[in-house]
Amino acid sequence: MIPHDEAHIPTFDDAALEREWQAQESAMRRERLQLDPAGDDARSRRYRLIARSLRQPPAESLPADFAQQLARRVGAAPKATPAGTSFESRLTLVLASTLVIAAVAVVAIYGQAWLPSFAELLPKPPATRWLLALAGCIGGSWLLGFWQQRPHS
Amino acid sequence: MGPLNPQIRAAPDRLQPPACNRSGDARIHDSMDDIRQADRTLVDAVLANRPGAFERLVREYQGLCWHIIQRMVRHPEDARELCQDTFLRVHQCLHQYRYESALKSWIGRIAFTIALRHLQHKRIALVEPGGDDGESLVDSIGDGFDLEAACADEETARHLHEAIEALPPLQRTLLTLYYLEETSIPEIARITGMAAGTIKSHLFRSRLRLRDALETRTGVAA
Repeated sequence: MIPHDEAHIPTFDDAALEREWQAQESAMRRERLQLDPAGDDARSRRYRLIARSLRQPPAESLPADFAQQLARRVGAAPKATPAGTSFESRLTLVLASTLVIAAVAVVAIYGQAWLPSFAELLPKPPATRWLLALAGCIGGSWLLGFWQQRPHS
Repeated sequence: MGPLNPQIRAAPDRLQPPACNRSGDARIHDSMDDIRQADRTLVDAVLANRPGAFERLVREYQGLCWHIIQRMVRHPEDARELCQDTFLRVHQCLHQYRYESALKSWIGRIAFTIALRHLQHKRIALVEPGGDDGESLVDSIGDGFDLEAACADEETARHLHEAIEALPPLQRTLLTLYYLEETSIPEIARITGMAAGTIKSHLFRSRLRLRDALETRTGVAA
């Protein structure tokens, strides 16, 4: 049981209300510890009776095999995915790889003709280095975030 | 998780800021560290798909979820379905759990939010408009009370249970968390998203109301 952190609970500014609250709290603790009610005053005994009722679990409950059923259902979930899913993801991977290889080939064959004109558009060093460092940081953070958020398999 | 009903964000009246308690803070910190370590072990096992890990997690927290949801919706069939939804959501979102609060609070918050949305969907009020005035109840409740007679009287116990059932869903749930689950007020605050002062105010008024019901009953019996 976590101990009560009363440091974060405000007090009533009315002394009578705060006394009543303290009586409620004391009765709850005494009932929880099952202390002898002989020394309790009438108010405390009243609140202990309420505490006793509130500590009784509801008559209805979840089925005994609720956790087992749910675990089975969750375990069966990946098998229920459509059969085409893995084929689709493999096809996507192949297409993406083809696109990357084609892009590299185009740059290698025709790059010398148009890359210098792109290089002239870029800011002069050392600004280029800072821009590349910034882009690297953003890319790195994005990849890290993506890796942390993906479900562990 | 979505925003809460504005009704339950109402600021508590007649409450003052708390005093500081350093030794208490240290004790709570140590206890929380132990809980976080146990949470981490369980969460890692579930995320690694270790056999039986998710079932263990459900078994560990199904009581908490049941108590929250059952007390909120009071319909056994709906409550069972919502409990299932809660754990399916937990399984789906567990990789997003960042250990910023205890796993109990995180799961309890999901259960509370799911039950809250259910009540909102069914247009069931979470709290009574207006509410009781704590001060006037403190003044009006007398001390003439025969405890022995009340304990011996099964009718009184039944009457008290009826009075608990008659409380608004939010107050029932707060009392259940506080008494049955022995959840502290700061932890209830994390589960419900309400301020500690608001929770204290609700608990105070609910207990006064139950005490009043008890007095009325013994008055009638006499």
